[in-house]
Amino acid sequence: MLAYGLFLLSGLALGALYSLGGVGLVLLNRATGVLNFAYGAIGAVGAMVAWQILNWGGPEPLAWAASVGTGILLSLAFGKLLAPGLAHREPVVKAVATLGFAIALLGVMNLVWSITPRNISLTLDKQSIAVLGMRITGTRLLAIGAGIAITVLTGFLLARTRMGLMMRALADNREVASVLGVPIGKVETTAWSVSGALAGFTGLLFGDLVRLDPTVLTFLVIPIIATTVIGRLTSIPVTFAAGIGIGIIESMLTLYAPLMPFRVATPFVVAIVALMWMQRSRYLTFAGED
Amino acid sequence: MTNLEISSAAAEPNAGSPARLYVVGAGILGVLIVVSAIANGLWLKILTSVAIYTLTAASIALLYRRLGLVSLAQVAMMGIGGWVALRLAHGTNLPFEMNVLCGGLLAGLVGMVLSYPALRMRGLYLALVTLMAAGGFSVLINVIQFPNGGEGFAGFAVRSVAYMPRPLIAQSDTAYLRYCAVVTALGFLLIRWHETTRPGRAWAMIRRSEACAISAGVNVTLYKVWGLALSGFLAGIAGGLLAGNLQLLDARSFPAGESVLIFALTIVGGAWHWFGAILTAILYRLLPALLNDVGINGNAAYIIFGAALIHALMTAPAGLAGQLSDAAIAIVRRYTRGRA
Repeated sequence: MLAYGLFLLSGLALGALYSLGGVGLVLLNRATGVLNFAYGAIGAVGAMVAWQILNWGGPEPLAWAASVGTGILLSLAFGKLLAPGLAHREPVVKAVATLGFAIALLGVMNLVWSITPRNISLTLDKQSIAVLGMRITGTRLLAIGAGIAITVLTGFLLARTRMGLMMRALADNREVASVLGVPIGKVETTAWSVSGALAGFTGLLFGDLVRLDPTVLTFLVIPIIATTVIGRLTSIPVTFAAGIGIGIIESMLTLYAPLMPFRVATPFVVAIVALMWMQRSRYLTFAGED
Repeated sequence: MTNLEISSAAAEPNAGSPARLYVVGAGILGVLIVVSAIANGLWLKILTSVAIYTLTAASIALLYRRLGLVSLAQVAMMGIGGWVALRLAHGTNLPFEMNVLCGGLLAGLVGMVLSYPALRMRGLYLALVTLMAAGGFSVLINVIQFPNGGEGFAGFAVRSVAYMPRPLIAQSDTAYLRYCAVVTALGFLLIRWHETTRPGRAWAMIRRSEACAISAGVNVTLYKVWGLALSGFLAGIAGGLLAGNLQLLDARSFPAGESVLIFALTIVGGAWHWFGAILTAILYRLLPALLNDVGINGNAAYIIFGAALIHALMTAPAGLAGQLSDAAIAIVRRYTRGRA
């Protein structure tokens, strides 16, 4: 029974990480209409910068701040310099453009930090508390706590605040929103920075809990996108639930030998099944963009 | 440049006449055959993979150009084709061509399965479905591995690896490069044939408006499924050829990221011109090797790829091929005007 509990807890932590990533993606998509494939790469740069600072003997708070700061900086750089040029294009083109940013960032990371195994160790890794007779590390607890807190906060931001209203208006129709007096520049800056900060934060946690490797972290965006797909790229609560669910299934499958090797495919399988189910009665003949 | 080519270019500035197209295509094939005689060892292998990935890029460009579909799973399709080809090569005594063809057919079948979501979704959602499929495939193939002469259905042996036999007429690396180039050229002809006949007209109409296509009596479902099957088939053939190049395949070289990268490069190379696929494969396989050769880290290529993709999307939707062809037309125009 203890094994079940342990894998459940580690699944919760993994799921919280998927959710954190997913919430950042959904927020950006809700505000700007961009599905950011570079999300993982931005987080990876943040994690690598944090590792570099720790490696030079810098204090841990500085590493955290640097990771989040790098995320904001990179996200803003793309959002302010490149994204406006593509604002009038269809969603898939905008998404593919972020892919270009991801590939370029990956190239830079592999140049700067050549591929050698490294790991990051945070103070919280060494601290743990007991829950129902099981020990859980501080980092996992932080992931779970941050996942819940940030989901609630972002949900509140989008649904209840004026800024959230403007974000939704902007994503629906950029021209009409600007005619109505939505300050497009300001709203987009907010969306890209919040999403970038989340990317940096999540990237460092992933680097600590999963693996600190630029390529792995960059392409972690694919399972994260799987969680957002289930929420149709718009629903924060569904994305959160999907992330937690996928994380738990993926972790619990470790205990079932025949499916164990395939557990990493959980996000993809769940996402495809969910997508097919959601689209089951649609037949897109005269429909619009997607 | 001969008189004939100039006049035909001036007469039809955008697409070029089919006759000239075949001439240029044959020219490229000829260049490749000459190069294959000069290149050695490693470069032969790289050029062969350029020829093979040209076919993959063409299969991506076909979907993007004709149906407006973004497929992020073409490298996974290659993996399926490669798996079947290897499985048959180690399990039966069928000739190489037969194995590759079966691989292509199965990948085409998988393409038809992918058309099920494609009939219900398009744009971003469809791209995401193919991406999920590619992600799932990379997990699956890393568990079952590619057959290398082992026992059982999966045919994977940890030790005592057997190699896939190459076609009888192309045993050496040089001959195999030519062989792949010819197969890729046949693939191009197959695409060309589709585009100039009934399916091409149907696709053009679907791309413009599905409602119009239906009212004109086009079977939208049939031709969408057909397009995806053809694209999967071509990628599967490319996978089989790739298996023959190294005579085995490594599961680790089929992650979802590769499918994504080659799609990105197809946009950079240019999906609207047929030789864009060749440029794509050159960027994908030859450029990193060339950079390495002159002492620049191959990762620098990724930075170029990323920047080029964003540039292509923002300012040059027709990609490198479009820019080259526009430049060629501009030069030809200036030359002819100067003469007149």
